[in-house]
Amino acid sequence: MTMVALQTHALSKIFTVKQKRAGLTGSIRSLIKPQWEEKIAVKGIDLTVQRGEMVAFLGPNGAGKSTTIKMLTGILHPSSGEAQVLGLTPWRERAKLAYRIGAVFGQKSQLWYHLPPIDTFDLISRIYELDRSEYAARRNDLIERFELGPYLNIPVRKLSLGERMRCEIAVSFLHRPQLLFLDEPTIGLDVVVKQRIRELIREVNKEEGTTVFLTSHDAGDVEELCSRAVVIHHGGILLDAPVDRLKREVLSRKIISLTLASGFDPTMLPSQVGTEVLKVEGRRVKIAVDLQQTDIEAVLGSLIGRFRLEDVTVEDPPMEEIITHIYGSGGG
Amino acid sequence: MSMAAKGIGTLKFLLTCWKLNLASAMEYRLSFFMLAGMMFINNFMWLFFWSLFFGRFQVVNGWDLSDVMMLWAVGAGGFGWANMLFGNFNRIAPIVSGGQLDVYLSQPKPVLLHVLASRMSLTAVGDFMFGLVIYGWVGDHSLRGALLFTAGLIISGVLIMAVTIIGGCLSFYVGNSEGIANQVFNSFLALSTYPSDIFRGFAKALLFSIIPAGFISYLPIGLMRDFDAIFVLEAVAVTLGFLGIGIFFFHRGLRKYSSGNAIALRG
Repeated sequence: MTMVALQTHALSKIFTVKQKRAGLTGSIRSLIKPQWEEKIAVKGIDLTVQRGEMVAFLGPNGAGKSTTIKMLTGILHPSSGEAQVLGLTPWRERAKLAYRIGAVFGQKSQLWYHLPPIDTFDLISRIYELDRSEYAARRNDLIERFELGPYLNIPVRKLSLGERMRCEIAVSFLHRPQLLFLDEPTIGLDVVVKQRIRELIREVNKEEGTTVFLTSHDAGDVEELCSRAVVIHHGGILLDAPVDRLKREVLSRKIISLTLASGFDPTMLPSQVGTEVLKVEGRRVKIAVDLQQTDIEAVLGSLIGRFRLEDVTVEDPPMEEIITHIYGSGGG
Repeated sequence: MSMAAKGIGTLKFLLTCWKLNLASAMEYRLSFFMLAGMMFINNFMWLFFWSLFFGRFQVVNGWDLSDVMMLWAVGAGGFGWANMLFGNFNRIAPIVSGGQLDVYLSQPKPVLLHVLASRMSLTAVGDFMFGLVIYGWVGDHSLRGALLFTAGLIISGVLIMAVTIIGGCLSFYVGNSEGIANQVFNSFLALSTYPSDIFRGFAKALLFSIIPAGFISYLPIGLMRDFDAIFVLEAVAVTLGFLGIGIFFFHRGLRKYSSGNAIALRG
């Protein structure tokens, strides 16, 4: 058995988009003389992922992440290029491939909206033609592992987004996929739920050797989940590197957002090396911390000592900033 | 996997889909009964108008009131079962243009079948029940009569579905064709509820060719009243032909499918 889970060569996708000027006149003009423009969504991607790897496929909105994943799952036909996923060409052998892969699209639910998740488990078992006893054992294991017991019999429409996503991911593991595509699995979730979902994915990867290909524009997904990160921008690969290197070179900044109990006095700020005030808006302050020069704990400690805080959050810099940084340092 | 095992697997999948659709509809029981009941009454209103018409003219081009009633039975009944079991057949256009095929495409079951069987129309239950009640009222209750009526239901349901799928597939090629698809669907349905013998010349030729509504509207005569083997064979061939074209267009269209980023939910 080959150790390559997926491989692409010069994989490209071009969409033809109709151009329309604003307003009614624009609509009429476009009706009489439509103007089309080619939009390159994915531009010649070469990529190899080994079995068992956890790869984060990152990029800002519109970078081509979802389009790539849709080509790799056989949903979209590429404009040019080749791809082999578990030895199959996705768009030619879609159904055959579908038995061996799983896919979770953060914005497209496979759960039956008006019914409890348990019913979707049943349907998915029929879709993948699972043996009854094997299905029951696997379902019970996933229910326990993903702690779905309390939600199992509640209609999906009444679940919170976090609960729904846990069900979505658990359902996608039901047929023991060898390769799991996760498209923005943590989109819109709060920090605690994000963390739990990442832990569960990591657990299944470790125990079952499932290859995970995850798209995200959340840098936290990379740091905590993946060993390798591929960053794409404008449809092309900008960086393909181990996450350790990415952390060291690119994710070396954290942003602290503070809400103070009283007004902000800049003279009270600690004159600490590696910190920079980014924004002050009334009682809200944003401070960037360079982790190569100092550590978060030290900065937080001195802030707490100087100010009365109402709220504090620590975040990764936005993906746009990471991309700018990679551009600035000359790519990978 | 052998063909037989594949067939059994698909059948089990369809049965589960239908069970879930029904369970999903039952989540809103009052709405279910109101919609189904209203459609039942709506169909009766049409029959009431026809009864007024036949009160003045007993026979029109060989058709009497019971033939028109059977036409409605076979038309509404066929539409009813198709829309109950494959309720997404008239929603192909918005599903395609809204990029909602992704989940179906990422799973191994036949995409078109999966899409079609993923919804049950509530009003269709009323249509189907209406078809059965009318058959019970004026139909031929012998075994032969029941079998012919069942065959009529199958032909009309599959043909309505096939033509509507073809209209919906335009979305792959022209973007959002929801309006055109609805027009195709509504015109076809309307044309299939008028006795085919009231049309002459070019209009009749159209009804038995590119707009094959005639193969539904002649069923009460050519299949059920005066069994005409040639008409029945033609009707079966045209139905299968249009279904084949629909499936072909859909699969060709998938190559042009461009997905989308709309938030999509099932059921």
